[in-house]
Amino acid sequence: DNDKKYRWRLAETWGPNFPIFGDASKNMARMVKEMSNGRFTIRIDSANKHKAALGIFDFVKSGQYQMGHSASYYWKGKDFNAQFFTTIPFGMIASERHAWFYYGGGMELMKKVYDQYGIMSFPGGNTGNQMGGWFQKEINSVEDFKGLKIRIPGFAGEVLAKLGAKPINIPSGELYTALERNTIDAVEWVGPSLDLRMGFHKIAPYYYTGWHEPGAELQFMVNQKAYDSLPKDLQAILTVAMKAAAYDMYAQSMHVSGENLASLKKDYPDIKMRSFPKSVMNAIKQTNDDLLNEFATKDPVTAEILKSLNDYKNQIRAWTDLSEKAYLDNFDE
Amino acid sequence: MNTSLKIISKIIDILGNLCSLLMLLMIANVFYDVIMRYFFNDVSIGMQELEWHLFAAMFMFGIAYTLKEDAHVRVDIFYDVMSAKKKAVINIFGSVALALPITLLILYYGYDYALEAYSMGEGSGDPGGLPHRWIVRSVIPLASCFLVLAILHVILSNIQILRGIPTLGVHNKYKNQGEL
Amino acid sequence: MTGLVLFVVALFCLFLGYSVAFTFAGVSLIVGVAVLGVDLFAFMPYRIMSIMKNTILMAVPMFIFMGIVLQKTGLAERLLESSAKLFGGISGGVAISTIIVGTLLAASTGVVGASVVAMGVISLPVMLKNNYHQPTAAGVICASGTLGQIIPPSIILIILGDVMGVPVGDLFQAAVIPGMLLVIFYTLYILVLGQIKPDLMPPIEVTESKRELMVQALKDIVPPLVLILVVLGSIFSGVATPTESSAIGAVGAIMLSMFYGTFSLSKLHEISKETVKVTSMVFAVLIGATAFAMVFSYSGSEYIIEDFFLDMSGGKWTFIIIAMLAILLLGFFIDFIEIAFLVVPILLPVAIALDINLVWFAILISMNLQTSFLTPPFGFSLFYLKGVAPKWMKTTTIYKGVIPFVIMQIIVLLLILSFPEHLIM
Ligand code: NA
Ligand code: NA
Repeated sequence: DNDKKYRWRLAETWGPNFPIFGDASKNMARMVKEMSNGRFTIRIDSANKHKAALGIFDFVKSGQYQMGHSASYYWKGKDFNAQFFTTIPFGMIASERHAWFYYGGGMELMKKVYDQYGIMSFPGGNTGNQMGGWFQKEINSVEDFKGLKIRIPGFAGEVLAKLGAKPINIPSGELYTALERNTIDAVEWVGPSLDLRMGFHKIAPYYYTGWHEPGAELQFMVNQKAYDSLPKDLQAILTVAMKAAAYDMYAQSMHVSGENLASLKKDYPDIKMRSFPKSVMNAIKQTNDDLLNEFATKDPVTAEILKSLNDYKNQIRAWTDLSEKAYLDNFDE
Repeated sequence: MNTSLKIISKIIDILGNLCSLLMLLMIANVFYDVIMRYFFNDVSIGMQELEWHLFAAMFMFGIAYTLKEDAHVRVDIFYDVMSAKKKAVINIFGSVALALPITLLILYYGYDYALEAYSMGEGSGDPGGLPHRWIVRSVIPLASCFLVLAILHVILSNIQILRGIPTLGVHNKYKNQGEL
Repeated sequence: MTGLVLFVVALFCLFLGYSVAFTFAGVSLIVGVAVLGVDLFAFMPYRIMSIMKNTILMAVPMFIFMGIVLQKTGLAERLLESSAKLFGGISGGVAISTIIVGTLLAASTGVVGASVVAMGVISLPVMLKNNYHQPTAAGVICASGTLGQIIPPSIILIILGDVMGVPVGDLFQAAVIPGMLLVIFYTLYILVLGQIKPDLMPPIEVTESKRELMVQALKDIVPPLVLILVVLGSIFSGVATPTESSAIGAVGAIMLSMFYGTFSLSKLHEISKETVKVTSMVFAVLIGATAFAMVFSYSGSEYIIEDFFLDMSGGKWTFIIIAMLAILLLGFFIDFIEIAFLVVPILLPVAIALDINLVWFAILISMNLQTSFLTPPFGFSLFYLKGVAPKWMKTTTIYKGVIPFVIMQIIVLLLILSFPEHLIM
């Protein structure tokens, strides 16, 4: 039945016309349609349509949607292990993480976690290294984190909380006002690629580099039963399209970040780009390691994932240091 | 029939009092969080999440109470000039054809929705957030149950109007509305 | 087609007089099951949950609570009457006070339901007591209560900023002058109308001497004004977010009533029950509307709109005028959030292609959506006011009353269209 048409629907976490993230799902759907010569089409419903930005997991699990585009760490509340497939603080950068996914056992571990829900999970596009956030005041020592009210979700928030910071939930629509009026002291968002549209650069003088989300990878989800019902060639087309769209998103993230950073530096030359001092970084790293070790005792699968991530990072980092890092160091003054 | 009307009415009145309490607790909760943050520089994501848990339960359960009190807004261009019996017919028709089916369906899907969170042990993904998401999700099916009761109350009391029997908590009579 | 059936059936049931919320939800179910099947409604718990955890909407019950406290304890009535007297007992004094209080509320919140209901509870009884022309009284309240939509902080601007990818801060800044223009237009309209037809808005009788008046005014105006300033001040000083400021307002209102000796526990019980009723009425309408929008959108009605715009040829002005007309027309029937989510994403690529200034375009859209709150038959502000107005006030009275204000909004919209560089900075 080579003429049979397959019409799928994909639910994504992002709103309509959301740049970069939204482009990844659109690219994927376009490629599927073109490669299948129109036999296989995927319609995308953005958050405005299904109204449940964080319901994608449930939608795909129940089969209401055959596919989803989101990020694995949003499902941390449902399955603790889901978060590690997006990123972890002080983890691998994008190139390393891709190597881990495809050649270092990452896909197998992800399958192990998602199989029980009848969901297939695939890398869905990398944001590149994310920025540490917009701060109203300078961070000079660990002391400066004490009582610092910062909007930073998830695991990174937990780490900073251990250092005395106060992670806080503010609806995204009120973030700008809250930061402007010092209701909160800092906001972590993404990076130049997506921060500029939020306007934080107009109201916060410090832009800190990141540590918490190196190479965060989004996620395509596919309902297992729906996938099994596809003919072999369309399965292959879908898999290739997801991989290509994910890679394209990484390239686009790099591109837009570079462009936006240039315009930021030109139009707002007073913004101070900073990195946390060494002493602060060490404290954060220590706390982070302690927390991860604590996690590892909770559940054997968590331990297995963390060990895999850690072992792989240690091994590949030697090469990253000798290749990219050494190369970049050549440019230092 | 009047006895069952009274019983339902009583249950929903208790629910209304519960909603009032939830509302006051919500205000106190938000106020407390603001004071703690501003004066004591203390923030708790769990307390922040409790705010919308109280808020959600208050208005969801309140929908049934509001229906029993006949305080859901209507477009009354024609309704206003109709006889009491015609109004009763419209209320019975609306309850059976419009309100009841969707409420039952939300109850059905809402039950699955809450069960899903329960079976996965879903909790907040944020540091210090509240565990047991199923509790707040259960508000949807529970509120639907109470709404079914309130709809029954509307149907029964309007049947009484059609039969010309005076009832307590009569429908299509706005009590004090606007004078609040 | 499905969209059309949906509208017609809903309109019919609405005009029968069955409750707005259940009509929306019930008709959506019937049409939705007939066209798309019952499975679609498995989404309903998700959609309800997204309303349940929308913490910005949390301001609705708390501002309503504040309004009802002020009303039940008689503080609001005193405020409005004293300030009306301060206006020298001119015709329309209470109406102008209403506009001022509405503007202050608008600057403290972006939640229209809350403002309309609070104003309806506070100033409608005062105006009616003073024999105001009913439609005008209703119109002033709906229009002033809806100002929160354009005067920052505003939910519409936040949503548009997100959907259009424009910084919210820029939009807030750009909305200030258009918002103030509306306030000025409303005030002038009332002043002029009061001169031409003083019977419509009789002045409040002033028997007291100037000195007595000042003392009385100080006693009555200052405390509630302090309350409003505390709400605004808590936002501007960063003590609270706009949502949280509503809790400060609610607690402040209770403290004020204690200060004035009008507080009692039984009153508190009564007030919170009323708040629950009004809040649940508002949110039931929201839930009904989300079912309605779900069927509208999943039935593919939005693709018809999309095709219409994509096939459209012509330049920038043709596009803008048709877009504005389309939004205005849709605004008669669907909720502003749905328009922002369904229609704006379709318009956006065209606007970008035509090199239209997006901030300006967003302000045009939000001014237009502001109007949709007031346009019969589905104007949400009208429903909200109807929900708290005396039983004998007819829906048609409210419909009639908002017409002049809708016209003024359209005039301001045309002004922004014509003089973008002067009005949006
Ligand atoms: Na506002
Ligand atoms: Na409308």
